Amino acid sequence: MFRPFLTTCLAAALALSPALPVLAAPFKLKGEPKVAMVIFGQKNDGGWSQAADEARVKMEAGLGMKIPAVDGVKENATAIRPVVELFIKRGHNIIIGTAFGYSDTFKELSEKYPDVAFFNLSGTTNGPNLESVYGRTYESQYLCGMAAGAASKTGKLGFVAANPFGVVNWTISAYELGARKTNPNATLNVVYTGAWNDPVKERAAAQALAEQGVDVLGQHVDTPATQIIAQERGILGTGHHRDMREFAPKATICSSVWTWDKFFVPEIKKVIAGTWEPAPYGAFITIADGGTDIACCGTAVPKAAAEAIMAERAAIIAGKHVFAGPLEDREGKLRVPAGQTLSDADLWKMDWYVKGVTTQK
Amino acid sequence: MSDFIVNWLANVPAFALPYALAALGLIITEKAGVLSLGAEGFLLVGAMSGIGVLLGIGDHPALALVVAAFSAALLSLVYALLVVTLRVNQVIGGLALVFLAQGMTGVIATRAGWTNRPVDGLQPVPLGGLGEVPVLGPILFQHDILVFAAVPLVALVAHVLGRTMFGLRLRAVGDGPDAADAAGIGVAATRYGAIALGAALVGLAGGYLSVGVAKIWVEGMSGGRGWIAVALVIFARWQPWRALAGALLFGGIEALIPRIAAIGVALPQYLVLMTPYLATLAVMIWICLRHDGTSLEPRALGIAHMREERR
Repeated sequence: MFRPFLTTCLAAALALSPALPVLAAPFKLKGEPKVAMVIFGQKNDGGWSQAADEARVKMEAGLGMKIPAVDGVKENATAIRPVVELFIKRGHNIIIGTAFGYSDTFKELSEKYPDVAFFNLSGTTNGPNLESVYGRTYESQYLCGMAAGAASKTGKLGFVAANPFGVVNWTISAYELGARKTNPNATLNVVYTGAWNDPVKERAAAQALAEQGVDVLGQHVDTPATQIIAQERGILGTGHHRDMREFAPKATICSSVWTWDKFFVPEIKKVIAGTWEPAPYGAFITIADGGTDIACCGTAVPKAAAEAIMAERAAIIAGKHVFAGPLEDREGKLRVPAGQTLSDADLWKMDWYVKGVTTQK
Repeated sequence: MSDFIVNWLANVPAFALPYALAALGLIITEKAGVLSLGAEGFLLVGAMSGIGVLLGIGDHPALALVVAAFSAALLSLVYALLVVTLRVNQVIGGLALVFLAQGMTGVIATRAGWTNRPVDGLQPVPLGGLGEVPVLGPILFQHDILVFAAVPLVALVAHVLGRTMFGLRLRAVGDGPDAADAAGIGVAATRYGAIALGAALVGLAGGYLSVGVAKIWVEGMSGGRGWIAVALVIFARWQPWRALAGALLFGGIEALIPRIAAIGVALPQYLVLMTPYLATLAVMIWICLRHDGTSLEPRALGIAHMREERR
């Protein structure tokens, strides 16, 4: 739908502009800080939008202020503008958007209202008062892959994914790397549904994978259908967006969850203190800074593996990179030389998979 | 390999049934001369109200399906009012209805908190030993009640449309409303009935989608299947049995796609996802090219009837 698209744009921006836009002084907020959120989907959608709304509630507690939100704001200027401008008219000067498709409109609005600070989750545009934010989902999916590998008896893992973009591809490869860490023979079979939000297709994909003897199902799609199938068939699963034990308490052993509040509480405090400088290419945040994290582990994950997962999580927080060299793709081509890590630009345009992954073309 | 084929064939009915029911409903409506582009909307209304019953009233899948059919029929009266009584352009009316249903189901389900809540839904009919028979068991006997009802239902619709007085009148209204009117058949009443009956079947298809297949509701979950049903009717030349065959073809493709991927055959995914739509286009082109005059397309399809109108 939207998230994955930061990909090419960001990569292109990195490649094409050797001269960085010079950001002058930090952004200075005028007047009393008032935060508002504009949410893409319904705030009880069980996934992406609900995660944003839940972060909003935690931010209210963390910042000690009310943060109003409007949900169901579609990705076009005629939907976004009136909502944002009404907030601004009512004195809100920190606006948080939540969609890839808000990128251009937020850019225009940030130029029109230079005294307002803008953030956009999964956006692609940035400026002196606009920062796009995305989490390094490959870190949390790597850890869930470890849980999947440890809990699997057959070593055959399945993954239901939406579309083969960089953001999805990195979760898939990281998942397999994690799985191989706990089960060196683990393989990962991916089915793309071509849609973010089609429970019929997701169910079909999950069922087809289960029929092939897969006993843990990962996912990078928006509905919990994959987890529900896992529970129905008595196998296991790992979730995305939020803790999916809510939908499949028996099956879900690990979920990659958004932790936006962990990022926003200190970031907004910076805005208020007058020390905020938007990252020129957006904030691409790790578990340590509060992009994603894991809800782990279910009882099917052996205790030793759960401890190993937490140790890896600590290592990632301490700076370990999931895609560290030497790393070959499944055709055997060296993608990351020894001693190096995959650059952000290469992550966003990732179109290859590590060994052990099977996908459509 | 044989496992693969058995698994695949066993999954075809669940994917084919929504198409079959929706196409059957559209055939009834269109046989009375009313173009029905609103299928996508009726699917959504059916899907949402079916889940609404399960979450709001309790675990009664049969009731959920009845309510799904009924809600779509109820909404279709708005469409009937527009296109029969007020003679609004049927293309515009149908499209408006789709947008109305998309927005309305989104609002209602969100406010009621029905999004993303799994239900047990419709379960296979227990047939004891029959379901355990190798090969044939899973393919033929591990299905829910609606799958078993599909073939009799198609037979019933084919019979009623083709062999009864009610069907004759309905077809007369669709082929020559002026003549039907002169013969004393109530054109408007027949069209209202055909629209409501057709919408009920499309609503049932939607209810099946959420209650029987996905077992969950998310906004916009019909995912374009209503449009495929519209094409399927043209594909089937307005004949119920052909619509069933077409539905099986589309259901077969839809069940095959993820299975090909799951066994690790690396086909280009966008090409594969395109195949149902490609098949629709191909069949329509084929039908136009072999135009042999035996089309059963209602001659007054899409034309509003006005009594004693000069032409």
